[in-house]
Amino acid sequence: MLKTYFKITLRNLWRNKLYSFINIAGLAMGIAAFILILQYVSFEKSVNGFHENIATTYRLLNEDPKGQTWPQVEPGWAQKAKDRFPEIQAYCRFEEGVGQGIVRRNAENAEPFRETNVGYAEGNFFEFFSFNVLEGSAAAFKKPNVVFLSTATAKKYFGKAEPVGQSLTLYNQFGKANYTVSGVYDIPVNSDIRYDMVFSLETLSNPANLNDNDWAQLDNLSSQYIHTYFRINETADYKKLEQKLTTLRNELKKDKDGLVFRLQPFANVHLPASFSDTYQTSGNLKYVYILSIIAILILAIAWFNYINLSTANALKRANEVGVRKVVGASRGSLVLQFLGESMLVNLISFGLALLIVRLLQPLFNTIIEKELTFTSLLSTPAWVAGLVLLIIGSLLSGAYTAYSLSGFNPVETLKGKLVKTTKAVVLRKSLVVFQFSISIGLLLATAFIYRQLNYMQNKNLGVNTDQLLVIRGPQVDKDSTYKMRRTAFINAIAQQSFVKDYSLSGSVPGNGYNFATSGFSQPGSRKGDELKSFSFALIDDRYLNTYQIGLAAGRTFTQAETMVDWNDNDKVLMNEKAIEELGFKSPEEALNTKVQWDERKLQVIGVVKNYHHIGLQKAIDPIIFYPQSNSAYFTVRLQTDRIQDNVAQLETMFKSYFRNNPFEYFFANDNFNKQYISEQQYSKLFTTASVWAIIIACLGLFGLATYTVEARTKEIGVRKVLGANVLTIARLLSKDFLQLVFIAFVIAVPVVWYAMYRWLENFAYKVQLSWWVFAAAGIVAIGIALLTISFQAIKAAIANPVKSLRTQ
Amino acid sequence: MLLELKNMFKWVTVGGNRIFLLKDINLQVQEGEFISIMGPSGSGKSTLLNVIGMLDGFDEGEYNFLHESVHKLKEKQRAQLYKQYIGFVFQQYHLIDELTVYENIETPLLYQDVKSSERKAMVADMLDRFNIVGKKDLFPSQLSGGQQQLVGIARALIAKPKLILADEPTGNLNSRQGEEIMELFTQLNKEGVTIIQVTHSEKNAAYAGRTIHLLDGRIEKHINN
Ligand SMILES: Nc1ncnc2c1ncn2[C@@H]1O[C@H](COP(=O)(O)OP(=O)(O)O)[C@@H](O)[C@H]1O
Ligand SMILES: [Mg+2]
Repeated sequence: MLKTYFKITLRNLWRNKLYSFINIAGLAMGIAAFILILQYVSFEKSVNGFHENIATTYRLLNEDPKGQTWPQVEPGWAQKAKDRFPEIQAYCRFEEGVGQGIVRRNAENAEPFRETNVGYAEGNFFEFFSFNVLEGSAAAFKKPNVVFLSTATAKKYFGKAEPVGQSLTLYNQFGKANYTVSGVYDIPVNSDIRYDMVFSLETLSNPANLNDNDWAQLDNLSSQYIHTYFRINETADYKKLEQKLTTLRNELKKDKDGLVFRLQPFANVHLPASFSDTYQTSGNLKYVYILSIIAILILAIAWFNYINLSTANALKRANEVGVRKVVGASRGSLVLQFLGESMLVNLISFGLALLIVRLLQPLFNTIIEKELTFTSLLSTPAWVAGLVLLIIGSLLSGAYTAYSLSGFNPVETLKGKLVKTTKAVVLRKSLVVFQFSISIGLLLATAFIYRQLNYMQNKNLGVNTDQLLVIRGPQVDKDSTYKMRRTAFINAIAQQSFVKDYSLSGSVPGNGYNFATSGFSQPGSRKGDELKSFSFALIDDRYLNTYQIGLAAGRTFTQAETMVDWNDNDKVLMNEKAIEELGFKSPEEALNTKVQWDERKLQVIGVVKNYHHIGLQKAIDPIIFYPQSNSAYFTVRLQTDRIQDNVAQLETMFKSYFRNNPFEYFFANDNFNKQYISEQQYSKLFTTASVWAIIIACLGLFGLATYTVEARTKEIGVRKVLGANVLTIARLLSKDFLQLVFIAFVIAVPVVWYAMYRWLENFAYKVQLSWWVFAAAGIVAIGIALLTISFQAIKAAIANPVKSLRTQ
Repeated sequence: MLLELKNMFKWVTVGGNRIFLLKDINLQVQEGEFISIMGPSGSGKSTLLNVIGMLDGFDEGEYNFLHESVHKLKEKQRAQLYKQYIGFVFQQYHLIDELTVYENIETPLLYQDVKSSERKAMVADMLDRFNIVGKKDLFPSQLSGGQQQLVGIARALIAKPKLILADEPTGNLNSRQGEEIMELFTQLNKEGVTIIQVTHSEKNAAYAGRTIHLLDGRIEKHINN
């Protein structure tokens, strides 16, 4: 019995090739999208899960009165807390970013590399966390001046040579220090903590290694730069411990900053437990949810195709049902048969989906910016849920089809009279509306996300970032000759014909500020104004010119002013926003007044026109420009198009003045646009999802149009004989479908409007939800639908009526 | 007695009016009989055949088949009854396009849970008997009308029914093919199968033992041939 069902199904599929293709292709596309997204969800859920003690491990967070949290805490708390609270078994500290610098093999002529993904970590790092130490022993990390390398990094520095026992030199803000390579480790891809190399934190416990950076002292309670994890007793209540930690903080901390401590379960460090959990996380739960919803919606579109096409196909299957009933088939056996058919179709589609997944994996990985593989799928039990969902969905879509097909009355169907049940027609129409609501919704969302992104990337920033090359300043060999070499390098740059302008600065647009601080006021300020925070940018006399930022009043710094020592300087520039915050009515009013910065007085010698120093998500900050000849960045405005050559020339010059330093550069506009990576990711995701959904929905629409035309062949023939022209017939056939697409549009508009309204709230500068975008997307959707339908409609309309009437 | 219809009425209600499809039908059929039903188009022949075949219900009267009162049976029991005792033959053959000759003939056995080995034997017998062994792997569309109808009859006979109901079995065939079918029916009837056929041809009707003439849903006359 099963074998015959199987056979008849395959023959049926083969006989109705178009229909089978649409069904299988649609389902395969839906399932493929589902699997890809499931991979992502599964991966995200698996992050950090490999740590054996994850359940008893907590991350220490600072929380400010506004509820903002961050994991950088003062390094002194860990030991103090462990001494005080017996439920703390162990702690592990590590920092991210502070240790960045240049690393080279401790050998003649070794190549230097800038390492950004490195840091200092506690001696028990490889015992506290479940990382795989492949060479050396975990315990070796407890010593000072020891470095462990990831396998890839070990290869980068030592090639095939044995890394353990070798020596590396690190140049960073703590000066120059040698480290012995004592271990090689492997960190799984699904780990939040991932270093290319880790230096022993123990090194910094020796004041000689701090290079006067007192803020980094490991027992200090004032500078927040280190991540702290606690392992606590299984029976301990971490919420109680959290309170005790805050009490400890209030007791020992001299400056009352209003911060409290929070303990975040390690399991929630990547993804929060729920949306109400607002602690800082490394993953994005919203993204996980949006993707999951998209996956399910796309899958639903594919299943609806199946239901629609199978029930529309009933016309052809009815006779078979009739005959089978007459020769003794019960309804149950027919239901089983059709269910089996749908299972088989789903199974074939599943196989095809796996193939599509393989093909699209690289593309999907670029969209999602993760290195996912098929095994990511199996890293958590999420795949079980996915499989169950797939089975339930295919059963349900099959069950509905089976139920409606097996219900035919054999007397009716054998007479060739297929009763069109209005219920089935209403259902089919609703499903089409649903499919197109989703497709149009995604299309609309894509349009707005794209517009917002485009707006941000093209808005006049008040600063010209085109053709600006930014070179990172040197960090190695900042000895007594450094200032001289720097001047020589600058002079060399100035003499190049392709250099239009150049500048030295401590911060550049797109890379944040040097720092932010409060404590500013002016004679006219009201009480409380001094608490307002101002951002600091360190610039030289050429910065405004080079970046083509305008002045609203006054002048910029002179070269002499940028040479004045930090504490002796008494002149600043402010942007319009800053003087407004200080209570000045106009730039002229602010000009030459002296503002108070705690005990110091600073004269406002110029007011800079507002420009966007950081991305358009945020409103323009009040900025104070401080004169410095800071060499964190050299900015060069290029005049020619021969950028490759120019960069090469600049590199040669740089290397000749700053040996042992890597030449690193970026373009200011690319760098600025990096701030929109998240929006770019959304844009790519929604574009792909909407194209995918539209293709599947249109496949279904095409199938339905084909059936409708088949079912109405006779009617069309008669109408043509009676004199109807091609256009009227094509219109007649298309009208019903277009109505459905239009209804779908009407449903999609308010939903998308609301969703986009909420999304745009994330941006200080944003596009309007213009009606014409909705209209345009609607026209596009209807146009695509029309194109899909009209192929069949026109084919039917121009067919020879005599032929169609004869075959009836 | 194989079956008996007593004062049977069947009607449909259209716009509040009853339209009678069958009116006061009284009919007794003995086991082993061969009966023809004739009458103009629309007189209710197919309706009557469907009611006898239990594919369709009726509104008033009694229907006894073997020792069962069909009008009192539940849907499931009725299906069980016709599945076991009745075979159908149609004017349009109604073979399943996606199945081969062999599989078409086998289908009724599948629904009666006959064992696979037994099925093979039964289908082989039937193919042999109808001289279509060579065509067993062909699909209906690859056969002539006459051949398709042979397959249709083979399918009707495979489950060894007591009664064959044939609605214009020769309606789509030429006269030579029609004759072959009639001779086949005569042969089957001799072997003890009861046959009721609907036909428009006097000549084909004459193969039967008696002919019932229908007019407007009413039995107009019985004629013994
Ligand atoms: N479900 C129904 N509703 C209305 N009229 C019907 C129905 N079934 C059959 N009829 C009508 O009953 C009459 C008898 O039909 P039928 O038994 O098919 O006639 P025959 O087979 O003798 O040509 C016809 O006029 C037909 O239109
Ligand atoms: Mg008839």
